[in-house]
Amino acid sequence: MDLQTVIEIVLRFVAITVVFTVVLMIVAYTVLAERRILGLIQGRLGPNRVGYGGLLQPFADLLKFILKEDIVPDKSTRFIYFLAPVIATMAALMAMIVYPFGPEVHLPWIGEIPLVVAHFDVGLLYVLGVTSVGVYGIALAGWSSNNKYSLMGGLRSSAQMISYELALGLSLIGPILLTGTLDLSKIVETQSRWHGGGWLILFTPLSFIVYLIAAIAETNRVPFDLPEAETELVAGFHTEYSAMKFALFFMAEYINMFTVSMLATTVFLGGWNVPFAEDIFGRGSFLFALVSVIGFLAKIIFFLFLYIWIRGTLPRFRFDQLMNFGWKFLLPVALLSIFITATLIFLNVI
Amino acid sequence: MLVLLFILFGGLAIGCAINVVAQRNPLYCAISLIGVFMSLACLYLMLAAPFIAAVQIIVYAGAIMVLVVFVIMLLNVEQEEKRRIRTGFLVPVAVVLAGLLIGEVAFVLWSVDPNPTLQSSDIGLTSSIGAALFTSYLLPFEITSILLLMAIVGAMTLARRTDVLSPEARVIPGAQVLALSDIDPRASHDVQTPIITDSSAEAAALLGLAGKRDQSKRD
Repeated sequence: MDLQTVIEIVLRFVAITVVFTVVLMIVAYTVLAERRILGLIQGRLGPNRVGYGGLLQPFADLLKFILKEDIVPDKSTRFIYFLAPVIATMAALMAMIVYPFGPEVHLPWIGEIPLVVAHFDVGLLYVLGVTSVGVYGIALAGWSSNNKYSLMGGLRSSAQMISYELALGLSLIGPILLTGTLDLSKIVETQSRWHGGGWLILFTPLSFIVYLIAAIAETNRVPFDLPEAETELVAGFHTEYSAMKFALFFMAEYINMFTVSMLATTVFLGGWNVPFAEDIFGRGSFLFALVSVIGFLAKIIFFLFLYIWIRGTLPRFRFDQLMNFGWKFLLPVALLSIFITATLIFLNVI
Repeated sequence: MLVLLFILFGGLAIGCAINVVAQRNPLYCAISLIGVFMSLACLYLMLAAPFIAAVQIIVYAGAIMVLVVFVIMLLNVEQEEKRRIRTGFLVPVAVVLAGLLIGEVAFVLWSVDPNPTLQSSDIGLTSSIGAALFTSYLLPFEITSILLLMAIVGAMTLARRTDVLSPEARVIPGAQVLALSDIDPRASHDVQTPIITDSSAEAAALLGLAGKRDQSKRD
């Protein structure tokens, strides 16, 4: 191993650390934002005591989770009980590394740095694959807890995630047809025409809507939060989990929210493309990269806000409604969207 | 570096594969099998075939094994008890098959070119796989699709036994389908009524049917 390789590996580790830190910070504050915004929607205050306006609340919660007693059910399957939250969190975090956070930036002395951790020819498939592994965390947690409510939650989530993964995957076919690549960086590059305004949502709006709905179901959020429906299943698959293990599930859910928002931004909303930014700052400059990264994060935060808003607005589906909706409505609509997009491409309209 | 990674993932694959056979609890076997698939995906990745690697994870680890785990959880298969091996005659067969496998591997290792000429590196890329699949291998591809379609249709035919309930009957998920041995729909006064209930007993009451099971209880 020569020096170049060592530097390369060290740089990768630094990049992963930076990305994970930033993402986990945003995730922590998403939790706070969710509680405050839900409070706003429901005409109450939400947590505002720890720090200015409750800004230190995430750290107080973290401390609480670490210091709480870790209860393991007596008749649980120990090994899998411990493994489940690890799988859930790991699968959620692993998807993070293929997203391009911004354009390449030229820095003095160091040279050109691409703002992406791992450049991957099939980035989109990788994201789908890693997300589909996340279902094990929930299913195994439900099974190993040795609790009927947990088991019901785990089974529901397995069925739900398998069903909606189809619609999710099909809704991404439209953008793949339009860009002709599975590489997330290239998908973003394609959208930088029209001064950075050629977002794919303009070409396949139907796919975008299907993706948005399927993504909510994939992350087990309201109105599709059947795996943890409080009124029926106590807390669903994580009923028996406490302390940091519960926190890991909680984190995994919010990281998944972040991931699907990132995918929506990258594939449909132009990724880091900010209209007219390239004309003003010039490609490769530090300011352009900064504006692009901020634009990227702003779009993600918009999606996160949308999720919270939906949670504060909509009631929960019934399980048979959920399945019927997924298979009999969303899947055909996704296929229709592919058909329309393919026809338009065939006729050279777009 | 590449050799180290190969040893890591190759060893992981072999270790997990041994674990699949050695474990008694079926769920542990399934999880080990997922480990095997993951390691194989990493090996494919190292062979510059990212598409195959991603598909390996999506199809095998993400779909098929989820189904297997699902079934194990649903049936709640208990840990297999330690019992005497009754299939003793299989041992010599296993030895012979293992010998055959080792022979095959030895033959492959012997016949393979130790210094392969570097082929074009885009052979594992998505576009080249897609092009090959829809030109030279179109017929096998279509035949496989029809095979899968047949499996789906077969599963649906098995799942909706229209001879048990009237064609109008609707069964919602979670509701129990009435077994023919329990209730004879031909004895019903009103076969057209849609059945939307949560239990066989309720459905039987709605249809005005007396279940054979209930009758036997009364006897």
